[in-house]
Amino acid sequence: MVDTTEEIKIESSEEDLQRLEKALDFSNTMKTFNLNKNNLKVKTQNLLSYSTAGGSFIVDQSLISFMNFVVSSGKTEISLLDKNDIPIHIDDTEKFLDEVSSLYFEVVNDYYNEYQQLRSSRKIEKVLEI
Amino acid sequence: MSKGIIIFAQNNEYVNYAEQACACAGYARKNLSLFDEICLITNTETLKPNKKLINKYFDKVIVSESFQPDNVRLFKDTTNITEYAPFKNMGRSDVYKLSPYTETLLIDADYFIMNDVLDQVWDSENDVMINCKYRDVSERHKENIEYLDNFSIPMYWATVVYFKKSDFAENLFTLVSHIKYNYKYYYYLYNCSGNLFRNDFAFSMALHILNGSVAFDVPSLPIEYLNNSFDLDDIYRVNSHNDIIMYCADAERTTNHLLSRFKDMDLHIMNKKAIGRFVDDFLANGEKV
Repeated sequence: MVDTTEEIKIESSEEDLQRLEKALDFSNTMKTFNLNKNNLKVKTQNLLSYSTAGGSFIVDQSLISFMNFVVSSGKTEISLLDKNDIPIHIDDTEKFLDEVSSLYFEVVNDYYNEYQQLRSSRKIEKVLEI
Repeated sequence: MSKGIIIFAQNNEYVNYAEQACACAGYARKNLSLFDEICLITNTETLKPNKKLINKYFDKVIVSESFQPDNVRLFKDTTNITEYAPFKNMGRSDVYKLSPYTETLLIDADYFIMNDVLDQVWDSENDVMINCKYRDVSERHKENIEYLDNFSIPMYWATVVYFKKSDFAENLFTLVSHIKYNYKYYYYLYNCSGNLFRNDFAFSMALHILNGSVAFDVPSLPIEYLNNSFDLDDIYRVNSHNDIIMYCADAERTTNHLLSRFKDMDLHIMNKKAIGRFVDDFLANGEKV
């Protein structure tokens, strides 16, 4: 039988070690990046909250789409379930839609800007302004 | 309709809670605007040496010498220092009777409000709001703690609680008080862990009993998650009244830390010594203009 196994290189060259060191360094950067990204995500989730008439609503695309349907159907007032499933009377649907949409665009736009800043900078010190 | 924020503080030999409560009050005042007053509930021993500072940051002070049996807690300051000291957290159940407000937002003395979302609690339809979701800002605890124990009841966090004068809230606090005085019994009944009296546990048990001891949903606060920074984390820098940079303990090796910035995001900082090291910065950023 012919031995087809190639000889395995055991010793790492200086260059290999440097590359490995760089990869491990990068893993630290990624850890910090992911932690900051997740914290931004949670901040966004917390900020996407809108309260009116005693109810609290999570502002998301489905709420905005539903309210858009309500407004375009000509309904000026409705009862809507809030995040705690409490029925809340909305007496001006157009104003409600306006306010939740503005909040959504503002908060998500801030998230976008902060995320881009985090993503584009290789140095976390720069993002954190240390 | 009066609206007030209430913070409890009772010093022990390890932590100056009065100072920290002043820092938190300053942050609440800077970031929220729809309340009438911020009130401190404390004891004579804590008030006396801190009176000047307290009067600067609080609109009202209520002195209450509440029942405080031995409740010794392990305080950690990252992985470097650990120390046992009395944990005086038994006064919370009295807040319903003591609160002079129609609507009250009760916050811990280490909860830093850094955006205006909690202003949305006022005029709520709900009599009580409390959160069951939390997040570890360092991501060491990946999952939310949903139950007191795997075979127990849903877990609620008493770090931030909203209530209005109502039958539901009154009964809730009566039950919390009853559980406090009979803690051992309820501790075993609900399969709790650790020896410490925890308000989180007492509130969770009281809510469960009050809702007929069956599955239930308690209205949550407008914030989706409580952002908890546990005591292995440290503070790197306090930038302003809505911006703090933290050293977050690495999940794999807690002696290592990763930097993370918290801007416009409430933060529950459990490392009391870290707050103490930066208390002057906190106080300066929360000062009344």
